[in-house]
Amino acid sequence: MTLTLEVNQLKKQFHDKSILYDLSFELHKGEILSIVGPSGSGKTTLLRILAGLEAPTDGSIVMQGKNITDKKANKRNVSLVFQQPLLFPHMTVKENIRYGAKIAKKDLKKTDQLLKSIGLELYADHYPSELSGGQKQRVALARAMATEPDVILFDEPFSSLDPKLRQEMRYWVRQFLVERSITSIFVTHDIDEAMIMGDRIALFHEGTFQQIDRLSTLHEAPANAFVARFLGGHLVIDSDHYAPLSSCYLSASDAGEDPRTFEAAVQQVTYQNGQAIGHIYVDELNEKVSLPIKHFNHNDRIKLYIAKSMIRRFGGSHL
Amino acid sequence: MKSLKNRTSLLLLPSMLFLLLPLYGMVAAIHQSFSVNNQWTLQNYIQLLESERFVASTIFSLKTSLAATLISLVIGLLLTRYFYTFLERNTPRLMVWLPMLFPHFVWGYMVILVLSETGVVSQMLQAAGWISSSSEFPVWTRDSQGIGIIITYVWKEVPFVILMLLPVYSSIKSEYHDLVKTLGGNRWHRFKTVEWPHILPVFIETFLIVFSFTLAAYEVPALLGTTFPEMLSVLSYDWFYGSSWDDRPLAFAAMVLLSLGVILLTAAAYLFLNKKRWKAMRGRST
Amino acid sequence: MSTKKTTFLLLASVLFIAPALILVLQSLSKTWRFQAGEGFTFSLNSYQTLLSDPNLWTATFWSFTVGSGVLIVNLIIGILTGKALAILSFKGKSWVEVLLLTPILIPVLATAMGLHLFMIRAGLADTAAGVMLIHLVPTIPYSIKIFHNSYNQMGRLMLEQPAILGASPVRQLFTVELPLMKPAVRSVTFLTIVISLSQYAITAIIGGGRIITLPMVFYPFLDTANASIMAAFSVWFAALPLLMYVMVELLMRFLPYSQTLRRNRT
Repeated sequence: MTLTLEVNQLKKQFHDKSILYDLSFELHKGEILSIVGPSGSGKTTLLRILAGLEAPTDGSIVMQGKNITDKKANKRNVSLVFQQPLLFPHMTVKENIRYGAKIAKKDLKKTDQLLKSIGLELYADHYPSELSGGQKQRVALARAMATEPDVILFDEPFSSLDPKLRQEMRYWVRQFLVERSITSIFVTHDIDEAMIMGDRIALFHEGTFQQIDRLSTLHEAPANAFVARFLGGHLVIDSDHYAPLSSCYLSASDAGEDPRTFEAAVQQVTYQNGQAIGHIYVDELNEKVSLPIKHFNHNDRIKLYIAKSMIRRFGGSHL
Repeated sequence: MKSLKNRTSLLLLPSMLFLLLPLYGMVAAIHQSFSVNNQWTLQNYIQLLESERFVASTIFSLKTSLAATLISLVIGLLLTRYFYTFLERNTPRLMVWLPMLFPHFVWGYMVILVLSETGVVSQMLQAAGWISSSSEFPVWTRDSQGIGIIITYVWKEVPFVILMLLPVYSSIKSEYHDLVKTLGGNRWHRFKTVEWPHILPVFIETFLIVFSFTLAAYEVPALLGTTFPEMLSVLSYDWFYGSSWDDRPLAFAAMVLLSLGVILLTAAAYLFLNKKRWKAMRGRST
Repeated sequence: MSTKKTTFLLLASVLFIAPALILVLQSLSKTWRFQAGEGFTFSLNSYQTLLSDPNLWTATFWSFTVGSGVLIVNLIIGILTGKALAILSFKGKSWVEVLLLTPILIPVLATAMGLHLFMIRAGLADTAAGVMLIHLVPTIPYSIKIFHNSYNQMGRLMLEQPAILGASPVRQLFTVELPLMKPAVRSVTFLTIVISLSQYAITAIIGGGRIITLPMVFYPFLDTANASIMAAFSVWFAALPLLMYVMVELLMRFLPYSQTLRRNRT
């Protein structure tokens, strides 16, 4: 089975600044990859290079077995959905969706089906200015789909929507892509969104992927301290060691024999799903963690107990 | 990256070719201003600076054009400032821009029609019995003070000033005004701290465009000026096209000096603006 | 608020509408002599006299030809440069912008005088092509500015969208950029034609009296014609930009996705 997308040793330098470096990954047909990382870390640049809007300094992009590194954006079979819907304001909804399909000489009946599947048939002849934010973003998706691209790239497509609508759109888009087995890459700075959208998740930091794995693997075997901190399910002890939060206890008796002990302070107590969560600062490690907590209030001094057997070394399937 | 950018830079090629036109014109004019019978000489400039007609004309041109420019800018600024909320609508905007439909000299003719000694206003004053004959009406056109020229330019340039300033005024967020109001600022404070910094670059640019245009354009002074003192453009055109070809180098020298002045003024303005911008940036980063 | 509106309407009427109206009224009347009680007397004599002058028609033809040529070049250079300035970022860009403005700052008269010899040698003096070239100097900088603003308003992301959907640059220009830049095209049409019509001196220098445009006829008319005819001539000057505007508007109807807006609100 050929890979839909193969990215090898991608590098991007801007002036003297290295934005992407030695970035490699591959995608199978129908796979959805979430790329998550802090804002401003170069994720958008990666998408723009994949779409052909910018050229990489080095490395290659192979799609359906063909090297497309030097092809311009309009010659690549890739669609990109941006943060803003960016619909053409002078075209109706239908004309917007058909725009790329006409150029690619695709069957226009299919675009009408797309219009139906995004639930906007009644708005076919309306102009974008008459639509709501969520509707516009759905049209943008349909427009990107209509060219039947090999890969669709999403650059934080829901971040301009309000939280409730955003959640709905996440599930809707995910289902839409899975049903049609559309290969896609989904960039976001929100780990929750990455978890909902992706089959696999790539953690992007300092110009490269720190780890790229299924969600469960990421949690069970984080590759390094950055991954562990970003996911928030672990206490990082030093650059080589960590302990899952599930094995951090607030009383010595729970942690078994001869546990390691850390001094800590409760900074704040909040509630999540009906449970009290303590936001705890571990002085000695200069780390912050969040744990379910019962008897303590903020500013209380506490101790964290971890069984030595539960302390692990970093290193999952590291890329 | 390189190849994509290079292809896009090709879009600039036609305008760079276009720039060769004024560039060549300027170089040729400079060259001819320094030559008599194909000999390199400063003679044209010496003769020019010794010419009373030239000196008087320069002073007259500077005075007239500076007055026209400043009056246009002030009126244009006031109108934009007080009425920009109306001007964002189509009909009022088209009303204001109506004079732009006419060439400058046509507008100049309109000024003659309305404001000359036998013009519409004078006729009406006579009909009303306020003045008894056209000789009592002040000389506002083809006068030696340049009043007619100034009136025409102001009338024609005010819409242009509004055209330049309106987008800037529309883009000033009303929150800024509210902020200054809540801090206790009055109307003048609002202008000084909110509007002025926003409009300054465009204001200076508009000043340069209007000033250099009114300083060197031929059409309106040819229609509304007198023979002495005359605007530099009229004098140079006479020297260029006059009865004897001997005066042509003088026309070139005059035009070169004028261009030099405009270039220096432009460079000074942009250095000033860049310095301001640079200061603002530095202020932000600390 | 409403007093402000009244003030505005009053000012605008007196300052901007009245002058144009006076020209129109005088052109439709015998020459006024209010002091002698001779006010508005409807008469089309002025237009008859004006339009029966063969020079006027030749001049109108040349002005139209030169104006159209200048407009086409302005649209091409304005669009290309405006786009480049909007999407490129490079060191010294603000100086390039100043440089592109200088042709309207440096006296056009100086440029025309300097180019005169070159035009003679290149065989462009006394030709419409030469006059078009020199008319580019005071017009192109405005067109670049207008299109630059227009592209900036569209934004880089909007300009990338058609490419992602597979459109070639030319297709993108006609399906997305031009339809969205119609107001800019209108402004450029107006400004370019009016500026081209306003040039007496540089047209005389480069056209050498062979290319007779409307201003070349207007100045001599001043000495012979009465106020009524001059007013008619003035109105004639405004007719040409309007004609050009209508033509451009009609042409823009042929752009894709330019049908009149279909409103579907029920």
